[in-house]
Amino acid sequence: MAGAALKRLMAEYRQLTLNPPEGIIAGPVNEENFFEWEALIMGPEGTPFEDGVFTAKIVFPSDYPLSPPKMKFVSDMFHPNVYPDGRVCISILHAPGDDPMGYETSAERWSPVQSVEKILLSVVSMLAEPNDESGANVDASKLWRDNREEFNKIAKTLVRKSLNL
Amino acid sequence: MRGWLLSIGSVVLTSLVIGNAYFQKQQFYPSVVYITKSNPSLAVLYLQAFVFVLLLGQLSRKVFFGQLRPAETEHLIERSWYAVTETCLAFTVFRDNFSPLFVAQFTMLLFLKCFHWLSEDRVEYMERSPVISFLFHIRVICLLTLLGTLDSLLVHKAYHSVINSGASTQLVFGFEYAILLTIVVAVFMKYVLHTIDLQSVNPWENKAVYILYSELVMGFIKSFLYITFMVIMIRVHTFPLFAIRPMYLTLRSFKKSVSDVIMSRRAILNMNTLYPDATPEELASGDNVCIICREEMMTNAKKLPCNHIFHISCLRSWFQRQQTCPTCRMDVLQPQQPRPPAMPAMPQGIPPHGAHMPPPFPMFPMGFPPVPPPGVPPGAPQQGLGPTPPQPPTTQGPSSSTTPQPSSNPIPGTLPPFFPPPFPMFPSPMFGFPFPRPPSSGNTSSATMEELRAMEGEERENVEARIAVLRNIHSLLDTAITQLNQYSQAVAATQTPTFMSGLEPQAGTSTAPISTSQDQNTDENIVSSTADVPGPSWAVVDEDVATTDGETRSIPEASTGVETLAEDYASHNDLRQRRIERFSSQPNDNQDEE
Repeated sequence: MAGAALKRLMAEYRQLTLNPPEGIIAGPVNEENFFEWEALIMGPEGTPFEDGVFTAKIVFPSDYPLSPPKMKFVSDMFHPNVYPDGRVCISILHAPGDDPMGYETSAERWSPVQSVEKILLSVVSMLAEPNDESGANVDASKLWRDNREEFNKIAKTLVRKSLNL
Repeated sequence: MRGWLLSIGSVVLTSLVIGNAYFQKQQFYPSVVYITKSNPSLAVLYLQAFVFVLLLGQLSRKVFFGQLRPAETEHLIERSWYAVTETCLAFTVFRDNFSPLFVAQFTMLLFLKCFHWLSEDRVEYMERSPVISFLFHIRVICLLTLLGTLDSLLVHKAYHSVINSGASTQLVFGFEYAILLTIVVAVFMKYVLHTIDLQSVNPWENKAVYILYSELVMGFIKSFLYITFMVIMIRVHTFPLFAIRPMYLTLRSFKKSVSDVIMSRRAILNMNTLYPDATPEELASGDNVCIICREEMMTNAKKLPCNHIFHISCLRSWFQRQQTCPTCRMDVLQPQQPRPPAMPAMPQGIPPHGAHMPPPFPMFPMGFPPVPPPGVPPGAPQQGLGPTPPQPPTTQGPSSSTTPQPSSNPIPGTLPPFFPPPFPMFPSPMFGFPFPRPPSSGNTSSATMEELRAMEGEERENVEARIAVLRNIHSLLDTAITQLNQYSQAVAATQTPTFMSGLEPQAGTSTAPISTSQDQNTDENIVSSTADVPGPSWAVVDEDVATTDGETRSIPEASTGVETLAEDYASHNDLRQRRIERFSSQPNDNQDEE
């Protein structure tokens, strides 16, 4: 068989197909390349993103799981912890050492214990509870803090957009 | 579409130019002269040549790669831009020699470079795809052979040209092709490694190491080539500005591979020296999935001081990056100083014999019983081995009565290596020095006059003696603490009254060394109170430890349930025998010392 990274990705894929967590679907874009995944994430209930289905792309490095994958929303996303270009900024996606926001302890960084499932669950909880201390999208952070109604309105339009409505 | 337009347009233009020339001159030679004299015609012809090169590139791509993946295309375009920029820089350096031939040579270099990059990407892709077809192998092998041959030919040609006609632009090409040749070699090495890896069902553990070393060697060769090139160019020509970027990248990657190798070596060293191998029992117990690769661990697993278990190879590649436990992020290099290997080892051996441990420790730190104490341990083996079977289970008694309960305990078989034999010996694997010494020197009542004298006085030796005694006491206290912890773990693990009743007298033993008869009484209590538990049969087995498994089974009172248990504990039996051998040898030694 092939490399350790590939084996682990296949194992995770199997795991995710057998026991999919609620509101998350993820898998390789095509089965010849297991290092690029697509994930569909349901907006968690009771949040402005409720009912939305957001598409994201996960790209794994060849030394996965020693290095973290990169995740990027393909759907439009307006969220304090998502860069305007869609890249997701959560601490478990950062390798210990680089600290883009300068506030994370190494305990919440990437480690091989993490998995695609955990990343996606963290993203769901990030959607539910933005962390406005680390503003990847400053406009969204500001709006989230100061003008929640406007934020919710934008989120609602994104939800509709994500459903092609 | 654009490509088609370009090629068709260029073909039309070329035919127009040639047709026009032939129409004007009517003969072959004059028309050739006409074309070469006319700049517009030449431009058209150059364009046509460029188109031919592109078409050839497309053809070879189709032959050797099939469809390019988007990532490969992106990579190729990005690198091509850099290469084109550098080529332009090279043109400025060699503006004196600027000629169509020179441009053509650079174009060919660029053309070959593209294929080298593509082959690099393609071979890397092997690691990413679960399906590698036969065609893939043929293509890669053909391509690498072709590229390697071309490179060597061109290096050879450049070398001869430099030797014959002195340093010229050929020097640059020679070096460029030499570098490309190293790329071919490196790619081929990777290809071989990946192929070997693909052949086997299990991931090839040493692959990462081989790749690391091959990168180191190739990095060294490339850096060497670049530096030589730089030096020669500065001497014979001028500063080769165009080679700065690739040289910097090469040196950086060489530095990285050196540090990778160093880190990897350190990780391997740490793993071999600091952490114990996980035993099959530990692996068999419960969750044996390596959290790094999500594969089951059958063999080749290591246990960190924090009790987390991983594959050796997974751990090694992780330690190259970070020296923490992947699960709990404990710094694995931190507890290196005092006694790292012993600490993880202890919890393995102790729990099932928690009851066995207590007697040693309370006596120890106090230093009361001189080496062959009146109490349990040394006496026990003698009784156990001796011809008087009625009083066997002194030390064994409690442990045997408790073993049935912790039978679910995951790691019974781990005992042999770590099992603490009678206490004078027990700590010696943990600490470097022979352990029996501390009790005798710490115990003033039993110490010899010499030792007492050594502890008095102000001279250096006396002070040293005192310090030594204090150190011993310190280490004994440490042992006592760890033992206490394990003791409490064992108590927590087994909550049945049987076990407790087995333990209480033990506590008594600890404060005042208790005669074996008392222990025996408690054992009898256990026997009577838990007649349905295999305890009794164990008492019997203990009476005659030398009995083999089969003999144990033949013991009349052994019920069928007991029989199966007896089989389960066959290993225990062996163990006990070994223990007793040590018992019998150990106290004798101690007595000799006294």
